[in-house]
Amino acid sequence: MIVPLERPGLSSLAPLLGIAAVSLAFAWHISVGARSIPLHVVVEALLSYDPALFDHVVVVDLRLPRALLAALVGAALAVAGALMQGVTRNPLAEPGILGLLVGASFAVVVVVGVFDLTSPTLIPLVAAVGAVLAAGAVWGIAAAAPGGAAPLTLILAGAAVMAFLAALVTVASLLDEQTFEQLRVWMTGSLAGAQNEVLKWALPWFGAGLIVALAVARQVTALAMGEETAIGLGTDVVRLKALSLFAVVALTAAAVALAGPMGFVGLVVPHAVRLLVGQDYRRIVPWSALAGAGYLLVIDVVARLLLAPVEISTGLVTALIGAPIFVWLVRTRL
Amino acid sequence: MTTAGMFSRLDGPVSFALPLRALAVLGLLLGLCCVLLIVSLMAGSYPLGALDVVATLTGRPPSEMAQTVVWQFRFPRTLAALAAGALLALSGAALQNVTRNPLADPSLVGVSQGAGLAVVAAIVVWPDLPQALRPLLAFGGALAVAALIQGIAMRRTGGATMRFILTGIGIAAFISALTSAFLTYGQIDRAVSALGWLAGSVHAAGWSEAGMLAGTLLCLVPALFAASRPMAAMRMGQDVAVGLGLKVGRTRAALITLSVALAASAVAMVGPLGFVGLVAPHIAHRLARSGVGLHLALSAAAGAALVGAADLVGRVAFAPVQIPAGLVTAILGVPIFVWLILRTQARPA
Repeated sequence: MIVPLERPGLSSLAPLLGIAAVSLAFAWHISVGARSIPLHVVVEALLSYDPALFDHVVVVDLRLPRALLAALVGAALAVAGALMQGVTRNPLAEPGILGLLVGASFAVVVVVGVFDLTSPTLIPLVAAVGAVLAAGAVWGIAAAAPGGAAPLTLILAGAAVMAFLAALVTVASLLDEQTFEQLRVWMTGSLAGAQNEVLKWALPWFGAGLIVALAVARQVTALAMGEETAIGLGTDVVRLKALSLFAVVALTAAAVALAGPMGFVGLVVPHAVRLLVGQDYRRIVPWSALAGAGYLLVIDVVARLLLAPVEISTGLVTALIGAPIFVWLVRTRL
Repeated sequence: MTTAGMFSRLDGPVSFALPLRALAVLGLLLGLCCVLLIVSLMAGSYPLGALDVVATLTGRPPSEMAQTVVWQFRFPRTLAALAAGALLALSGAALQNVTRNPLADPSLVGVSQGAGLAVVAAIVVWPDLPQALRPLLAFGGALAVAALIQGIAMRRTGGATMRFILTGIGIAAFISALTSAFLTYGQIDRAVSALGWLAGSVHAAGWSEAGMLAGTLLCLVPALFAASRPMAAMRMGQDVAVGLGLKVGRTRAALITLSVALAASAVAMVGPLGFVGLVAPHIAHRLARSGVGLHLALSAAAGAALVGAADLVGRVAFAPVQIPAGLVTAILGVPIFVWLILRTQARPA
């Protein structure tokens, strides 16, 4: 199979255009709200902040954190999805479908609800442990099945783990309604109401995951062509898989700690990116980060506008868009 | 059709060695249901002895309180649990036979979610709708989803088993998100009433629900057993079924509609109880090998026992908090689902 590493249509201007588009989405995200703020005021507030102006305070103190959150979560999930699809050679791989999101949020719910531990320092770590355990369970079930960890088996194992953990979470929430009332919105994947403290502690995880993802991207391209090809090209496959797993888990943990389980972002964005930039993960990974950020910013605006003044959880909108694309992928890629 | 009839008779009524065991198991399962019924009537915040329960049921209640507790609360609820379990198990068994897919289950492939969405939308948007219309709505929603999955999954390869399931999982995710959106959008009191129903709980079931479920069971089950012969042919695969003179397309559509109707009527009354339709037919299969008709009966009994036990466990385990039966069946069902994945060869199309 010949993989087109260079797409002639993509000029060197493309990254600049991409960044400009995401910046525009970022500014639009900030300008939309109960009180709509013109775009030029948003830009002014960001570039030359004046605490005396009310609009500037709204932009910087209230709306900027949420926009940052949307961009970070979108980028993290998209990169995690892209890496998973490359390493498992499974077009349907995604943190949500393979159970990582549910595992991470289950761990957070248990720790917050049962042990009453709310320190924001530990939540990303707890989410990471949960994601690793869930990934291990899904992978273990799929690998033990006849035929090995084929795409279909992995997804069925993911569905099983998800159903089990979801039932456990519901049981726990029935036993302790007060604690879980606060977690209910978070459990559907929401960008509202994350604290700045959590953002501060999730950032290192996000950064570490993104750096590792960019570093392994070249070898992931080789691995995506098949394990034998990758070994033939001199790739240390075991080390590569371990590093990728670390990146995926760190990114998933950061995203879950910030916004709860946000399904299908990691599925939709990398596939769209692949259509534009080809099969080279050196391009797919950074473009996924950019496109994921822009995607979730736009989705979050839609979630706030669609039934305004009622706000739909952003995770519901990503599922409403992502699930049909999942079905389409099942139809065309399997 | 006649050949199909003869064919099913090979391991049906004329051979005596297998049905003996199957009939014994069927008797045991029905006995288990009776035991569960008695224990369910005994257990609760007003405990009753087994003798008191029997006395109350035979018309000599030891006290006014026992009369009310048994007849007004516990008896209809337990009956509803047993009937819903039987309906879901039959639905799953029919679906597994028709799609030749051991993993088919009404709640896994979105049929239950379709019924759920229709009912939740009705609760939130038209709260004044009479409850008697719920089964019809649920049936409509479930049928639409089943048709959608069939349409998407079957067109290309005549229905690869795994693609059917994966399409169902995708559609189930979509519908769940829609349902959640309805719940966020709806007024809080209506949303809460819909939410309790969605967890799959029989605790609110009274005589009207129990009667409705029993009525459905009486209407649809004869139809299903009448269809057991074409089903036996379908189980052999499409080519064999065509060779046996079956109109495969029409039979498949009829059987899937029947299966959807069974699941939808259960879901309309007690909410989506997960994994019952998946697990009960496999339990029946492991306990005794038999022809299709007897397998259906065994599945129904196993499903009834399963949901009856799940309701009892959910009621007693963390009393006074009641765990909805749907959660208990999910927690019990997932390990069995995993075990099935481990035994099923995943065949890419």
